[in-house]
Amino acid sequence: MGGNFKVSYREDMALFQTLWVKVWLSILILLLLLAPYLLSRYQLSILIEMGIAVIGALGLNLLTGYTGQISLGHGAFLAIGAYTSGLLTGKLGLPFFLSLPLSGLMAAGLGLIVGIPSLRLKGLYLALGTLAFGFIVEYILFHWDLTQGDMGMAVKRARLGDFVIKTEKAYFYFVMIFAAGAAICAKNLVRSKIGRCFVAIRDRDIAAEAMGIPLAKYKIMAFGISAFYGGIAGCLMAHYQRWIVPGSFDISLSIAYIAMIILGGLGTILGSVLGAILITGIPHWITYLTDVFKESYPALSGLIVDFKLGIFGLIIVLTLLFEPQGLFGIYRRVRLYWKTWPYKY
Amino acid sequence: MKTRIVVSSFILLGALCLMAGGTWAKEVRGVTDTEVKIGCLVDLSGPAKYGGPPIAQAFKDCVAWVNDNGGINGRKINLVVEDNGIMPNTTMKAARKIILKDGVFAIGFNLGSAGASAILPLCEENEVVLMPHGANKKFFYPGNKWVFVPHTVQYSMACRAVEYILEKNPKARIGMIYQDDGFGREGLEGARAAAKFMKSKLVKEAPYKMGTMDFTPHMNAMKEANVDTIVLWTYLPQSASVIKQKVKMGWDVTLISNNTTGVPPLFALVGENADGYMLVTPFAPVHTDVPGVKRIKEINKKYGDPKKTLDNPMYPDYLYLAGWGYIEAMVEGLKKAGRDLTPDSLVKGLESIRDYNMGGLCPNITFGPKRHVSSFSSLVLRADGKAKRFNIIDGFKEPKTPQ
Repeated sequence: MGGNFKVSYREDMALFQTLWVKVWLSILILLLLLAPYLLSRYQLSILIEMGIAVIGALGLNLLTGYTGQISLGHGAFLAIGAYTSGLLTGKLGLPFFLSLPLSGLMAAGLGLIVGIPSLRLKGLYLALGTLAFGFIVEYILFHWDLTQGDMGMAVKRARLGDFVIKTEKAYFYFVMIFAAGAAICAKNLVRSKIGRCFVAIRDRDIAAEAMGIPLAKYKIMAFGISAFYGGIAGCLMAHYQRWIVPGSFDISLSIAYIAMIILGGLGTILGSVLGAILITGIPHWITYLTDVFKESYPALSGLIVDFKLGIFGLIIVLTLLFEPQGLFGIYRRVRLYWKTWPYKY
Repeated sequence: MKTRIVVSSFILLGALCLMAGGTWAKEVRGVTDTEVKIGCLVDLSGPAKYGGPPIAQAFKDCVAWVNDNGGINGRKINLVVEDNGIMPNTTMKAARKIILKDGVFAIGFNLGSAGASAILPLCEENEVVLMPHGANKKFFYPGNKWVFVPHTVQYSMACRAVEYILEKNPKARIGMIYQDDGFGREGLEGARAAAKFMKSKLVKEAPYKMGTMDFTPHMNAMKEANVDTIVLWTYLPQSASVIKQKVKMGWDVTLISNNTTGVPPLFALVGENADGYMLVTPFAPVHTDVPGVKRIKEINKKYGDPKKTLDNPMYPDYLYLAGWGYIEAMVEGLKKAGRDLTPDSLVKGLESIRDYNMGGLCPNITFGPKRHVSSFSSLVLRADGKAKRFNIIDGFKEPKTPQ
């Protein structure tokens, strides 16, 4: 039997539970360290995009996957983080190392406020409430003179003391440290009392309350933490792109984040990472296909561009049809297969 | 013997230095001895996908023609057309791809002002000349070294529209319906400035959200304000809705709009009701008998597919012509930059263009070190509902309002 017996609480609570997990993580870290020396600037820019998406997706998964509170306004928290940091560094001249946590805190603060209606709203009603919040934020960004409307505003480069994070290579390491930190924090959180309360609320909130879990506290906390992650992701995105426009944070971004956690696997840390990589990667993969066929089959290439959104949607629908547990479900099956190999069970 | 060895050593050393010098010479992204890569970002997917193909076609036709005639300073143009999906985030991805992966030397076109704003830092960082379309005044005022606008912007066109109305009737009561975004607000600013300059004012302003199709409240507000002319800073579907509403109300109000609505599909949407609808545009109608239009028709015939493009009565020809304005400016800039092509030499080349003759297709192109917008001039056109086409009623003129 390919089991993993734990004979102490310490083993059961370990962050990385098996040797193989540690080995694979070490390989991943090594690859990430070497990536800037092996990949082009363009490829690194895609990885940076993925790293930022991982942070945002982890936040949303804590709220939706672990606590069961649906949010269609996650893009708005990224916008709040991006604009907070843009304004703090640009208008007030605050250093980046201060604006980064403040952008997360600003998003978290507003997340706590958005969380209050979640005490009365559930399911589709909550989805609509968070959607409305997204629209309000977008409207403010469009019309507030300070944010300079739909033409957007410039954001300074990220700078740590005298060191300006200028190159893709430097920003890649910077983002990866944050993505790894965000994943470790999330992993730690979900195995703590807070995480167990989140899961209890998700599984049956009335029962959770009957067991003494204060719903208000934990639901609002989930919104706050999720928004904090979103704010940090938005801040990192703003300082990487160095120009932010409200149009980048519209409803499609919130939907992309929902797609990331559903396709990756709701209620799993690894699922958030895999989903973020998949959803961020699909448009680049489609562009790559278009390029491949551009010379030899221009008509096919044109067709791919025409049906770009359709292809994106099709991949999502097929994944949901054939792998409802998301990419994490595939990972779990593959892992089980190798654990029990050569037996089927 | 010893002398020969010393001389040979010096010659060898010299040769090595020359070779090394060649190797060490700074490589310019997108430029080789035989070609220069130019990018064109247009929307081939997304909400404005109708706009991309005509522009891309103009670029392809022009590049084929230039390459067929020997290229520029011994280099052929390698055109990279990429879908920018019009949105800022999709434009960012597309720009990153063509700069960092495809390695284009310059971006000859980008559709969408917000997207163009979003990619500015990327262009600055990588020293890429960018020519944004739908450009906002802020692209050239106060100006950016890497941004050139070979196009009359919405601000100037709105000034021209209001001035035209007030010149014909100084007592005109002008109202304005505009899209509540950068495009519409830029038009509003221009209209307000021109009205003020002409010692008048806009008596009613009515914004609408993008995607609005019912203009009953806006038109009622205009009628209540007793306006006799409405300036529309709208896109085609919205202009068509306003015309329909005007007919429904039985109201004989003058409408004047911007270049984006001056396309044949307007007649398909409202038929003869389009009669009398006016617009301001920097591009001559494609049926006009001017040398610039004739020339591109010939080129389109030789290198393009006229049946699907300029000979097609429903083709959005102004976008095709706009594409020409951009690629011709880029080609002229590349010519003037000379054989030693670098981002800086291209900037200098573009800045040295003076009164480049567009043959009446659009205003002639002039740039300078302190002027990165080609022109402030535009035409006024009027729709002929029966003939289903637009005719010029007032030639190229710059607004009198300070730009």
